[in-house]
Amino acid sequence: MSVLTVAGLSAGYGDVDILSGVDLRVEPLEIVTIAGTNGAGKSTLVKALMGLVPRVSGRLEFEGTSLLSLPAEKRLAMGISYVPQVANVFASLTVMENLEVVEGVADRRGRIATLLESFPVLRERARARAGALSGGERQQLAFARALMPEPRLLVLDEPTAALSPALVHQVLETIRELPRMKVSVLLVEQRARQALTISNRGYILDSGTVVIADTAERLLSDSRMAELYLGDH
Amino acid sequence: MGFSLFANLAFNGLITGLVVSLLALSITLVFGIARFPNAAAGDVATVGAFAGLLGPLAGGGTLWIILCGMAAGALLSVAFYFLLFRPLAGKSAVSSLIASIGMAFFVRAALTFFLGHDQRVYPLPIVRAMPVGPLRVQPTDIEIVVAAVLALAAVFSILHLTPIGKRMRAVADNAELARVSGIRANRVLVAMWLIAGLLAGLSGTLLGVKTVVSPEMGWDLLMPAFAATILGTIGNPVGAVLGGVLIGLAQELSTPFVGFTYKLGVGFLVLLVTLLIRPQGLFAKNSLVR
Repeated sequence: MSVLTVAGLSAGYGDVDILSGVDLRVEPLEIVTIAGTNGAGKSTLVKALMGLVPRVSGRLEFEGTSLLSLPAEKRLAMGISYVPQVANVFASLTVMENLEVVEGVADRRGRIATLLESFPVLRERARARAGALSGGERQQLAFARALMPEPRLLVLDEPTAALSPALVHQVLETIRELPRMKVSVLLVEQRARQALTISNRGYILDSGTVVIADTAERLLSDSRMAELYLGDH
Repeated sequence: MGFSLFANLAFNGLITGLVVSLLALSITLVFGIARFPNAAAGDVATVGAFAGLLGPLAGGGTLWIILCGMAAGALLSVAFYFLLFRPLAGKSAVSSLIASIGMAFFVRAALTFFLGHDQRVYPLPIVRAMPVGPLRVQPTDIEIVVAAVLALAAVFSILHLTPIGKRMRAVADNAELARVSGIRANRVLVAMWLIAGLLAGLSGTLLGVKTVVSPEMGWDLLMPAFAATILGTIGNPVGAVLGGVLIGLAQELSTPFVGFTYKLGVGFLVLLVTLLIRPQGLFAKNSLVR
């Protein structure tokens, strides 16, 4: 059974549809990249998956269960976690508090200890306010916060935005490791070429619709399509 | 106008400031989490002050007056949330503000209708003020300071040491991220309205202990409390408390120069100057909730 199934999904704000008829799926322990130009609807797509868009219709299922009527705060309990593109940590809370506030964690202390082992820099900065962290540290905290409830699907909205090239590599390596932690990944990325190198499959979104769906390998090897949609990175 | 006069004015200013701080903290918590300025906070304080009149029936003494006032404030505040502010949660902040103004007028009108305009006092024993250095200190002054400081310490402990307090700060910081972190807004909001009501009720009863109980007292307290909230940066609990104390001190210390009648205006002058020089308030960088 697919982890995530999206079929004929339309979504928008007010009367305007930003997404229309989107089809995609994420299989267990896959990394799937969504690429597309600015304004293609990538962020709206992830927000629709997370229940943060006021108007969504179509089919949206997580492990066979419909998400459409489920409020955002209950999707985490289903097993879907999310790292937004910006404001992805609670800036005025400490690193430790950012992890403590996440709901739906059975063994909170044990889980925090495990994550601090996976992200050792956070252990050193445990009492620092998240707003005082560097870009790289903040991104690690965002991942750790999202991984607190041991999700089965992690939705990432441009996790490498505004990071230095060295940090981009580090973040992509972290994402590559996620399937080993039993986490499937839906990754929205502006740096599509780099994202596809760590992905199993990819979808290209244009004007709110999926225009191409293929394996990451084939997407990267199609020079004409790559020139059109994948940009320089 | 000697040192003794100013020392006593400063002490009075501290007491007034602490009473204002409690209501300012109530307002700033609501603003930080529910995102609108709650104009009904002053009238919740008034209801708390009137409920304090039941204290002597329950057992007498300042403690019972305070407990009755806090309980009434908390009940009314949570009732406002369920009846009014929860249904309006998805609407603009202006809707909730207007609703809170309407509720404030309604509560005041109801109090006046059922209890009249008369001023009342708590039946506390009249005790001679004690000399403490240059200060003349009433025992009730000490009780007010102790109650206010304990309440402020309790609220800050809740915000920083308890799971629900940390989640309240998380919602205030980033409501959308809080939702996708599984934080149930309803639970956080009930806790917040409960604390806001307890603080408003306490503020009203302490003002009643210091002065008199009247249907207009909460409205008179609301304006300095809003000024303190803005002065201390909206949404910042520490700022609200310090802003309240600053407003209280400014009002009392100005009395020899402008007279009792106009001291309220001095608090607003401080606010006006602050807004002109530092519109984000004095503690924007040290915000705890937002």
